[in-house]
Amino acid sequence: MIQKKNHGDLRIVLEVWRQNGPGAPGAFEEHEVMANEHMSFLELLDVLNEQLVESGRDPFVFEHDCREGICGSCSMTIDGKPHGPRDRTTACQLHMREYRNGDRVRVEPWRANAFPVVKDLMTDRSAFDRIQQAGGYVSINTGSAPDAHAMPVNKENADMAFDAAACIGCGACVAACPNASAMLFTSAKLSQYTLLPQGQPERDQRALGMVDQMDAEGFGNCTNHYECEAACPKGISVTNIARMNREYARATLRRRD
Amino acid sequence: MNSFIRFLSSSIGRKYVMAVTGLSLTLFLLVHMAGNLTLYAGNDAFNEYADLLESNPLLPLAEAGLLVLFVVHILFAVLLTGRNKTSRSDKYQSSLGMGAKTVASTTMWITGPVLLVFLVIHIWDFRISKELLDEYDLAQMVVDRLRHPVGFVIYTASIGMVGLHMWHAFQSAFQTLGVAHPRYRSLIQNTGRLITALLVAGFGGIPFYLFFTG
Ligand code: HEM
Ligand code: SF4
Ligand code: FES
Repeated sequence: MIQKKNHGDLRIVLEVWRQNGPGAPGAFEEHEVMANEHMSFLELLDVLNEQLVESGRDPFVFEHDCREGICGSCSMTIDGKPHGPRDRTTACQLHMREYRNGDRVRVEPWRANAFPVVKDLMTDRSAFDRIQQAGGYVSINTGSAPDAHAMPVNKENADMAFDAAACIGCGACVAACPNASAMLFTSAKLSQYTLLPQGQPERDQRALGMVDQMDAEGFGNCTNHYECEAACPKGISVTNIARMNREYARATLRRRD
Repeated sequence: MNSFIRFLSSSIGRKYVMAVTGLSLTLFLLVHMAGNLTLYAGNDAFNEYADLLESNPLLPLAEAGLLVLFVVHILFAVLLTGRNKTSRSDKYQSSLGMGAKTVASTTMWITGPVLLVFLVIHIWDFRISKELLDEYDLAQMVVDRLRHPVGFVIYTASIGMVGLHMWHAFQSAFQTLGVAHPRYRSLIQNTGRLITALLVAGFGGIPFYLFFTG
């Protein structure tokens, strides 16, 4: 069948990482896909997978859920940039109009020992869940919604906490870091509670617990390149890392054991 | 004690140690550089300054402190860098980069060890070798060393390494220590650049002055 070329159609040469499981050897596979500039990057991969299935081959495994930039699942490194070339944009929100006809695009998974490859582009990011469980919570009785003025919060702290809470746990910060450090994620998850009155009771315990868990997971150490901040689709600031460092030192001074 | 040891085994604790020792060494470099400037006033002025230092009974204590700072800085650099070089066994196949890192920030683990090699040469040149002599003229030793092409190259190149190391290090240390309020960020960054420029010009001027006037 001859396909009519529509306005905005693009021929894209994709090199996609194929790996059968954690620790298995992997390699790029090259495929040509007809895209349209209105497609998202994930839709491009959908088209590729459809082609593969139709010709009896294995589709590429990649993670996705919301496809609107809020769930943090669509982890993939596109041409050496986590989530691709567009600032503050997740891979699912990246559109093919960023590309030109004939472009060659390389897609590989997040690479960090703490994020082992499950298959192809999908990595196991449960290390983040364990960091969160080690202190990223408040143990208050939530009950029904309290009156808005029952607990005063100053505006500046509320804004900073809100900005930190925008982290979607995608792992791009780890993927972009030359040391595979998880300090941007951990500091965002710590800050969103520590900046608010509700977060005070567990303040020290949170800093110690989350940082120690982060270290135990095998992430690298931050050396302040600030690549994480540049890669983060939610614009999480490295000032959160400075806050985490202070919090950890403070908690160490105050700990009794 | 226990909590202190735990702190020193954590990523953040180790970074704190790097930052505190690094900033102390920076302070030392500034004082050292200021002292060196006496050389512009002539050999006698320099020797007088050196005598003054050497006659201070507290000098051995200061030297021991300096040695500890260097040893601790280097030890923790090895610990941190070792971990950072093993946290990603499967490397990226495309070149990874968002454009935020700099030549200075990515070469800390190279400029550091190069400085260590220089340190050994430097301490041999002007600290150990004079112990082996009955009589010496320190200013003349400096002049001879820096007028020799090999000495000139070693010293100027090493000062370049100090510049690269410091360019990233100063603001990095403040970020590590948690001093990163947006209001002070550019002040800290500019102070770091100023200190780097002062160190490079202050230390670096001397070999050029001696080599090209000799
Ligand atoms: C000449 C005197 C030196 C000064 C003034 C100095 C200063 C500093 C400072 C201020 C930092 C920043 C710390 C931070 O980011 O928190 C730093 C980092 C570093 N230094 Fe030095 N340093 C010196 C010598 C050395 C030597 C001899 C070595 C290694 C053998 C070394 C290796 C490193 C490394 C690898 C880092 C990066 C560590 C990290 O961020 O994880 N430095 N230095
Ligand atoms: S800090 Fe940014 S890059 Fe890191 S997990 Fe959160 S949203 Fe993703
Ligand atoms: S699929 Fe949910 S953020 Fe991309």
